[in-house]
Amino acid sequence: MTSTTVSSFIDKPVVPGDVILDLSKMTDQTLKLGGGLQQDQDAITVVQAGILRFSKPNKYWIESSHKRYIPTVGDTILGIVVDQRAESFFVDIKGPMVAFLPVLAFEGGTRRNIPKFEVGTLIYARVVKANTGMNPELSCMDASGKAAEFGPLKDGYMFESSTGLSRMLLSSPTCPVLEGLGKKLAFEIAVGLNGRVWVNAEHKSSIILVANAIMNSESLTPVQQKIMVERLLDRVN
Amino acid sequence: MEQRLVNTWRMTVNEKKFIESALESELRIDGRRPFDYRRVTIKFGRFAILREDGSSEVQLGQTHVMSFVTSQLVQPYRDRPNEGTLSVFTEFSPMADPSFEVGCPSESAVELGRIIDRGLRESRAVDTESLCVVAGKWVWSIRIDLHILDNGGNLVDAANIAALAALLTFRRPECTLGGDDGQEVIMHPPEAHWVSNHHVREPLSLTIHHLPIAVTFAFIGDENMVIDPTHHEEAVMGGRMSVTLNSNGEVCAVQKAGQGVMQSVVMQCLRIVSVKAGDVTSKIKTAVESYNTERALKMVKRHAPPSKAVDVSEPGQKAKQILEGQKLKSEECSVSQSDDMDVDQVHTYIHALKELTHLRGDVFLVSKDPYSEGVNTDELKATLASCGSVAVPMKLVNLGDSIRDETKSDEPLSDVNPVSSSTDSAGKETRCC
Repeated sequence: MTSTTVSSFIDKPVVPGDVILDLSKMTDQTLKLGGGLQQDQDAITVVQAGILRFSKPNKYWIESSHKRYIPTVGDTILGIVVDQRAESFFVDIKGPMVAFLPVLAFEGGTRRNIPKFEVGTLIYARVVKANTGMNPELSCMDASGKAAEFGPLKDGYMFESSTGLSRMLLSSPTCPVLEGLGKKLAFEIAVGLNGRVWVNAEHKSSIILVANAIMNSESLTPVQQKIMVERLLDRVN
Repeated sequence: MEQRLVNTWRMTVNEKKFIESALESELRIDGRRPFDYRRVTIKFGRFAILREDGSSEVQLGQTHVMSFVTSQLVQPYRDRPNEGTLSVFTEFSPMADPSFEVGCPSESAVELGRIIDRGLRESRAVDTESLCVVAGKWVWSIRIDLHILDNGGNLVDAANIAALAALLTFRRPECTLGGDDGQEVIMHPPEAHWVSNHHVREPLSLTIHHLPIAVTFAFIGDENMVIDPTHHEEAVMGGRMSVTLNSNGEVCAVQKAGQGVMQSVVMQCLRIVSVKAGDVTSKIKTAVESYNTERALKMVKRHAPPSKAVDVSEPGQKAKQILEGQKLKSEECSVSQSDDMDVDQVHTYIHALKELTHLRGDVFLVSKDPYSEGVNTDELKATLASCGSVAVPMKLVNLGDSIRDETKSDEPLSDVNPVSSSTDSAGKETRCC
């Protein structure tokens, strides 16, 4: 087996039409392509502007920031219940179609104990099916059937941002905004990859502060984020 | 059904509860206090090729509204034969908010247009009588187009500011009566490169008596009231009130929807509005002023090249002719109304100078211009500077006198090569500005 060839575009911005890999030179490899990439005979081309990411050994995908969310299997998202039917809840996930959340997709869910959510309930869930042309399917259980952290979120405040910001908040090491805020304030946060963020804290003023700090940090560099958070906290204390 | 579910923006129970409960302790989700207004940014459009005046873009927080003002000569209404018309049109693009639908205007679109229309028209903010060209035959119809580009709440206030800013910078082409029977309307193109056989004349701004500013309140819960509601607050609110007030404290329009409020609350709102209206008025005025200065500066540059062309051809004879014509006119003007004498003289002088710069030698008679009050002092200064006058005094009051002096000093224009020297001085002037 030949040594693995890695694209030279990794972690760089790419635009639709860029060819990131030439398959004719790499015969014995298996590749896994994520969102924004397409195989075009012997070439892997980009179909969506963004940054090319690579995960060892062979996963490639494009990361970009949008206000709309295209569901991908495995993403954790924040959805809003829109309607309830006999079989499933209709959940808005900021995508092109409403997602279905089967009434049985809860821990220990049976026909007897169907949960009741009023319209407008915020739900933290996981995408389990995302096929083109079909409504995506959600689940409030992890792969082993446990509730984990999934389920409805009570109180707090939810705001919408872009998918890029959500990714930034979830990245490791912890992004400077959350780290800075976490040092001084106690708050709970749930980040959905569909660009929705839920924040809860004891005091309403801290919820507002955290929410605005996060919303402002979208276009800032890590250093700027740090400065902004410090200034905000100084003003409060 | 399903597509509809996707397109409608909805609010979670959490947000609703939070906005209401936070207001109990006088907190708002964007960090404002209940009576803080969002930041207003006013920009003026420079993207249109032929018409750069009369367009504005206003941002109020996330809300983004674009406004265009256009004019057209139309027949007046029968019952008002000597008044121009003013109409407001709204365009809610689905890009601004997915809940806006293409096609027929929604209820909110009609309401928005009506509030702005009422504020402007019924308070007679725009002088419609000065838009009359021939009574009963031709009047100017002013059309305001409001495009909502992003809905971040409080569209009424943002659209109102956009409409005012566009109206303040709008200029319509000047037109005079001519032809054989003196009834033919002659439109004067605002710029030399327009294809027309009529004289170039500076377009006129509208006469605007006062600025009616709309300020919106939202009533949330039983007792809470906020000014300038955001999109989220609008989704929670039980009632809304828009008050249109001018900087003199005169109420021009009130629009109230939703839950009932106490009389005392309404009075409190009015008091707050009178303060806010003053702030917004000054903001609009500064923005418009800076735009006008910029425009005046641009005019200086644009007029410089054609005046250089003068010394290539034979200037002497024509200049003499024009100056004679100009003297004739200034005499005529001094006979006409003494109140407007200064302004009128400036006006005629400008026409003469302009013709000189554009090599249009034919003498024409200017009838008394009813719009001379509408002439912008900045433009006057700019035009004078560009035409090679030596020093332009800053105040309009002094303009008349100094121009008389300048006329004398400019008189030896018919000498060998005087125009080029004046052009040079004009160039220096421009740089000094």
